[in-house]
Amino acid sequence: MLRKFGKLFILVALIALLVPMTFVSTAQDQITICFSFQDLETEFWVAGHKAITETLRAQGIEVLEYNANENPDRQLEQIRDCIAQGVDGIIIIPQDGDSAVTIINEAQAADTPIAVFNRPPNDRSRGITVVADNVSATEQAVEFIAQKALTKFETTGEPIIPLIVVGALQDTNAIGRREGFFNVINRYNENYPGMFATPIEVASEWDAATALANLEAAITANPNVDFLYTSSDFLFPTIRSVLEPRGKWVPMGQPGHVLMAGLDGDATACMLIEQGLVDATGVQNLFFEAELTMNRLLQAIEEGDPQPNEVLLDPGFALTAGNFIWQSNDMWGCVLYREGFLDQ
Amino acid sequence: MSTIDERVEPAAGLMTAATRGARSRQPSAPWMAFLWRLLLSDYFVLYLTIIFFVVASFFFPTLSAPGNISNQLSNIWPLLAVAVGQTFVLILGGIDLSVTSIMAVTSVGGALLMTQVLDGPTFDKSPLWGTLINENGGLLSGNPQAVLIAVAFMLLLGTLIGLWNGFAITRFKMAPFMVTLVSMIVFSALALWLTASRNVSGLPADFVLLGKGDIVSVFLGPKLNPDIARRDVLPFITYPFAIAVTLAVVAHYILGRTVFGRHMYSIGTNRRASEISGVPSQRVIMLVYAFSGFCAAVSAILYSARLEIGRPSLGDGLLMDIIGAAVIGGTSLFGGKGTIKGTFFGVAFFILLLNILNAMRLSPFVIDAVKGVVILTAALLDITRTRLANREQRA
Repeated sequence: MLRKFGKLFILVALIALLVPMTFVSTAQDQITICFSFQDLETEFWVAGHKAITETLRAQGIEVLEYNANENPDRQLEQIRDCIAQGVDGIIIIPQDGDSAVTIINEAQAADTPIAVFNRPPNDRSRGITVVADNVSATEQAVEFIAQKALTKFETTGEPIIPLIVVGALQDTNAIGRREGFFNVINRYNENYPGMFATPIEVASEWDAATALANLEAAITANPNVDFLYTSSDFLFPTIRSVLEPRGKWVPMGQPGHVLMAGLDGDATACMLIEQGLVDATGVQNLFFEAELTMNRLLQAIEEGDPQPNEVLLDPGFALTAGNFIWQSNDMWGCVLYREGFLDQ
Repeated sequence: MSTIDERVEPAAGLMTAATRGARSRQPSAPWMAFLWRLLLSDYFVLYLTIIFFVVASFFFPTLSAPGNISNQLSNIWPLLAVAVGQTFVLILGGIDLSVTSIMAVTSVGGALLMTQVLDGPTFDKSPLWGTLINENGGLLSGNPQAVLIAVAFMLLLGTLIGLWNGFAITRFKMAPFMVTLVSMIVFSALALWLTASRNVSGLPADFVLLGKGDIVSVFLGPKLNPDIARRDVLPFITYPFAIAVTLAVVAHYILGRTVFGRHMYSIGTNRRASEISGVPSQRVIMLVYAFSGFCAAVSAILYSARLEIGRPSLGDGLLMDIIGAAVIGGTSLFGGKGTIKGTFFGVAFFILLLNILNAMRLSPFVIDAVKGVVILTAALLDITRTRLANREQRA
């Protein structure tokens, strides 16, 4: 038995070690970028990962990929690994803003340029930070439905009842999105007094169950809500489960349609805009952000700047029922949607 | 007269029995006999680590680069600290699933005490807000002894949680798996509740030193420029190294050179027989779980300090690495066998394995699968050795 087991063990050990080695790339002269991401738990991050790796590889850059499995300590170890391997630059999607600060300091202390993608560190003074401008993207999406609401207001003279599903307000993304929403509402109320009633705020804490409970209560208390903005597209299925039984989940042009906008630009939002159920969504332009990240990092590498510090904003754009035909290809969610992501 | 080693190390005795059993079946070919001896040696994992390192360095020259070696050593120390405690528990025939939650709760407990600044909108949902913590940080913010007191608190907290585990196991006759599983759930939840799921930053610089401070740094190679690049100065002896190695040496001494250590092996081999022989099993079990909690707290200090935050989910996903390192190092999941030396080799092997798998640029999912296969293989090896030893003893 021992003999059999011993042979088996040695065989397994050798195979486990040697087989993957045959696939190793030995390229030495090209630029190598280390890309460490916290995980791929949502379609947004799947798309972000794809955008970065494809953008880099399209330029002939070697990419070392590391998945931190939502563990910032593991991510720190991975970054140290990358530094030890002598990579030319680092891109991270950190687990959180706190650990991002430590990781940036670690990389800069080793004179390795580093960029943070889409999830900003708490201290943005160090490293390259590429982040979506949540205020701007929200304003663009809400502006589109506000225009439609204005037409309705001018026709009926009845005030529009707006509702916003807010995210967890400890999150800077949620704060920015709320700010963008109120900027538009306030601007229209200044120009067209009485157009919007006081907005109803529904807390989601970025949790679908919390959003469902609070939205049910809000719609029951205010059944005439006709203008809705959700701080994240992932809540559209939740919104549907509340509106559909009340006959308010209907395509635009039909009586009872609620003007709706969201933010993120995911595959579900793409499908709903195509079906006419949602009017607009603010899009974090992942492809643009990936390019921005790569270009700035490559610039730092080329210039020999080991500690580039800059915040780069993605203004985002709104995908609407009006521009869907020619702009949907720029939205990451639509790319996933057309690849059959929602059918999986 | 027998030496202390011969008297007190049943593990070594067991290994000798295994080796004897194997030798009686040794293959005749010299190279096969050599392989058998290697396979059954106490140093098998060390040999395997060296072979892996040498072979892999041939394919990946960066593995043997001084920077990489220094980096991998820095990854060994925090894992070693917590694996030492788990080794003690496994030798008893128990298991401590709560170590990761002990790490989490001690991490945030200490951090909340010594943090120098807290963000109001982030932490005002914490139950401690306004009483023990506020915008100016924790209770010890500004206190010159803050780090010392907070570290002592973390160690005490970890020890007490471990002691509670041991108490519940011995007094209520509950299965270690169940007690420590419940502790894992409860203390993980406590860590999240205390911090409202937020990381605690703003830790004092002296504390951060414990996780990444160098005692001796080296530069290797010719000095071609007057200024040496920072990435070329390598930490060699660090605070985590000193702390983890001290802990391991003390644990090695307890296990191999004291009556308490003999009692542990005895209980792990046959608890009932030990009790009949007068071994105070309840006290030993309680102290071992307390020690495991202490080691988890030491590890939490090292991890928190190097990450510069107290983290309510610290240790998440680490349990497989902790138990895996101990098992790879030859600690038996059935109890009665294991050494700190073996655990050190297991941790080193595990870290090297990860390093090699990363160097191979494999998918993260493949890496996890390979880790699982290696742990399973190590567990199978342990079972085979134990069976052989038992067979030989019966014979």
